[in-house]
Amino acid sequence: MKNFDDTMVVSYFLRGGSILSVILIVSGVILLFAKNGGDGFTLQQIASYSYSMAHGIDSKNISLGGIIQGVIKLDGVYFIALGLWTLIFTSISVVLVRLVWFAIARDSKFVIITLLVLFNLFFAMLVVPSLL
Amino acid sequence: MLNFIAIVIRFFTIVLAGIFSGFLGSLTGLGGGTILVPMLTLFYGVPIIFATGASLISTIATSDGSASAYTKEKIANVNLSISLEVATTGGAIVGSFVAIYMYAHALSWIVYIIFGSVLLFSLYPAVKKLHSEIPKKTKADWSTRFFKLSGSYFDEHLNRTVNYQGSRWYLGETIMFFAGFFSGLLGIGSGALKVLGMDWALNLPMKVTTTTSNFMIGITAATSSTIYWYAGFIQPMIAAATAIGVLIGAYYGSKVLVRISNENIRLIFFSILIFLGLDMIFSGFNKINIVFVDADFQFLTAASIASITILILFFREKIMSGMVHKK
Repeated sequence: MKNFDDTMVVSYFLRGGSILSVILIVSGVILLFAKNGGDGFTLQQIASYSYSMAHGIDSKNISLGGIIQGVIKLDGVYFIALGLWTLIFTSISVVLVRLVWFAIARDSKFVIITLLVLFNLFFAMLVVPSLL
Repeated sequence: MLNFIAIVIRFFTIVLAGIFSGFLGSLTGLGGGTILVPMLTLFYGVPIIFATGASLISTIATSDGSASAYTKEKIANVNLSISLEVATTGGAIVGSFVAIYMYAHALSWIVYIIFGSVLLFSLYPAVKKLHSEIPKKTKADWSTRFFKLSGSYFDEHLNRTVNYQGSRWYLGETIMFFAGFFSGLLGIGSGALKVLGMDWALNLPMKVTTTTSNFMIGITAATSSTIYWYAGFIQPMIAAATAIGVLIGAYYGSKVLVRISNENIRLIFFSILIFLGLDMIFSGFNKINIVFVDADFQFLTAASIASITILILFFREKIMSGMVHKK
């Protein structure tokens, strides 16, 4: 236990998550340019703000279930989506690491506090979509 | 429609805006979004919905990218951040819902004005404390022990270990709820409010507040950005360009923060915030034609007021440090 440094673990998670998400996002951008678009839209359409607004080229129409299929098809839009979710989960993983750390340290007060933070995060992720 | 070269140029100019925002965002503990949203809306013509969506994603990138460096330096207070995140994530959920309501009811001009006002009002308590590199020690209260608000870190600039002791957690927690609320409403990390909550309410040293704030921003923005995702505020190409840029900027910003003096951080922080805050307020009023000024005039007015304010602050600091030397 004495050799375990939670801040270093958090640091590695953050670094690893950031690097992985950048790799995915950059790959997505390269694929978008190389294949002249993605997700059924041309590169010109995706690059246009007004076209995107009018035709719903946004996250609402990128189904989370479709991300894996999109990635298998080497679709740039889905690579970017996976990269963005990797960033979001990197932040969440930090909270999870701390939860484990507080549990190991038997610090029940901070375990409860960390669970409250996770409750808010998962409320936003799982309950909110049904409210919109 | 744009041709291929124009699209490449557009993409890389947004990456550049991201690098600039990420660098300053990490340096000041604001998160990239506070600077990115005004830049994208005012100078790039990006619709505010997509600007705030991209900004939230970039804010997570700044936080993740720079916090990895800060945790290594062991300046950020992890226990403190987790207890404050309860309020920031709760506020973020409420703020995101309010944002969705406003955009659905053509009230985006209010978002502009609130954005500008949050930037400007967040300056007041910080300006008052301009000369406190490290805060005076305050009396510990019940929250100091209960939430483990004390700690220490090695300050490279001062070349000594700084011990600190925070208090008034409840006040910090209240400010954090609003920080989360504005993060969800405006698509920013609300680093300014988080820094002020810890600096002014909890009375912690600036370096601890900026690094801990960077840590908390990621979790707060992760909460709001999942809601933004389902609401359709994230446009893949804009979000990709800003995330890449902000990560690069944040990485270099975090390298500089460990060396830079606290007074410098604050002065950079002020000048940019004043300019962007004024420009956003003018744009909000322009949208509903209450005040109509031409974009160049708007830019010049905001820049002039920001420059004059910074000059006054700079000379005030010189005069005050001169008076201390005389004593």
